[in-house]
Amino acid sequence: MKMSFLRAAFAITSLFSVTVLSAGDKVEINPPLAGSVSKEQGLEAWSRIFEVASHPRCANCHTGPSDRPMWSGPSYGKTRVHGMNIQAGNSRIGAETILCSTCHTNKSEDWSNANVTKHAAPRVAMSWALAPATAHWFGRTTQQICEQLRNPETNGDRDTLEIAEHLNHDLILHWAWAPGGNREPAPYSLQEHVNDILAWGVAGTPCPQD
Amino acid sequence: MQITVNDTSYTIDVEPEMPLLWVLREELGITGPKYGCGIAQCGACTVHVNGYAVRSCQLAIGDLGNSSVKTIEGLGTPDSLHIVQEAWIEHQVAQCGYCQSGQIMQAASLLSTNPDPSDDQIDAAMSGNLCRCGTYPRIRAVVKAAAKKLQGS
Ligand code: FES
Ligand code: FES
Repeated sequence: MKMSFLRAAFAITSLFSVTVLSAGDKVEINPPLAGSVSKEQGLEAWSRIFEVASHPRCANCHTGPSDRPMWSGPSYGKTRVHGMNIQAGNSRIGAETILCSTCHTNKSEDWSNANVTKHAAPRVAMSWALAPATAHWFGRTTQQICEQLRNPETNGDRDTLEIAEHLNHDLILHWAWAPGGNREPAPYSLQEHVNDILAWGVAGTPCPQD
Repeated sequence: MQITVNDTSYTIDVEPEMPLLWVLREELGITGPKYGCGIAQCGACTVHVNGYAVRSCQLAIGDLGNSSVKTIEGLGTPDSLHIVQEAWIEHQVAQCGYCQSGQIMQAASLLSTNPDPSDDQIDAAMSGNLCRCGTYPRIRAVVKAAAKKLQGS
């Protein structure tokens, strides 16, 4: 039974999605030449990547084994779990109780004006979800996140080029730089973040305590 | 644009940004879904889209596509109430009633995907539906009762 309702809920998230097309910024994926980025430059890139990964726009939904999205950062005042007792469950989309898409509805291709209303649920042209439990960033150190992000077992089996592609395609990630309402965007820009990921990869994915 | 609500097809002429709740209430005169906040904070506007609870204030009509909408008016009929509605009456849940259509639509959606929810799952599913009158204890009890009814049916 459990699986059938999970399957049904996954089905709705795709059914309900009118179109799932790219929107927001277009990203160029141009990795630097092999050998052209020093370890020091790679570590500088990493420190900017960490600023992004630990920013509330990203970390609030990268809550690891907890299925509770967080409300933290300058837009929220006191750090607390997402209101309304939201539990994303093992499905990470709330299929067991209340789907994220109940409030974070799917927009069509053009979602440029989707998030102008303060305090409303953010929306993009794909199904809202928590990040996988293995991608646990909330409250973690730069070394911990760095090791997770370079390990295929905890990064969705990706090399850095594939991480960059992932950033290009996942519109919830695009949203972090265009969050709307009164939310503070993630630092830098999506393109700068992708460039840093690529440079960090070419530098051999160094972490601060290596 | 064409939309289907409670198995009836309607042609409407509105801006695609108009929230479904406005279309229902202002264009179609379907007033079961209530306006409480307009920003996904209260649940009073909850309807079903393809069978799943959705805050109709959060769904732009242009994003509905071919999905079908059900409001409290289409959940059951006076002669043939939905099991959740039956249980609601038996437990006399409502006080002022303003939040109740949203509560019932959310509960019906929960039970259609999870027919035997635990207390914690009921609380998690229903916590986004606010009730100024504080009917929460009756809501939790009635969702359990409706689940039992469903299993017996
Ligand atoms: S009116 Fe839609 S959630 Fe309050
Ligand atoms: S019954 Fe009055 S607001 Fe819920």
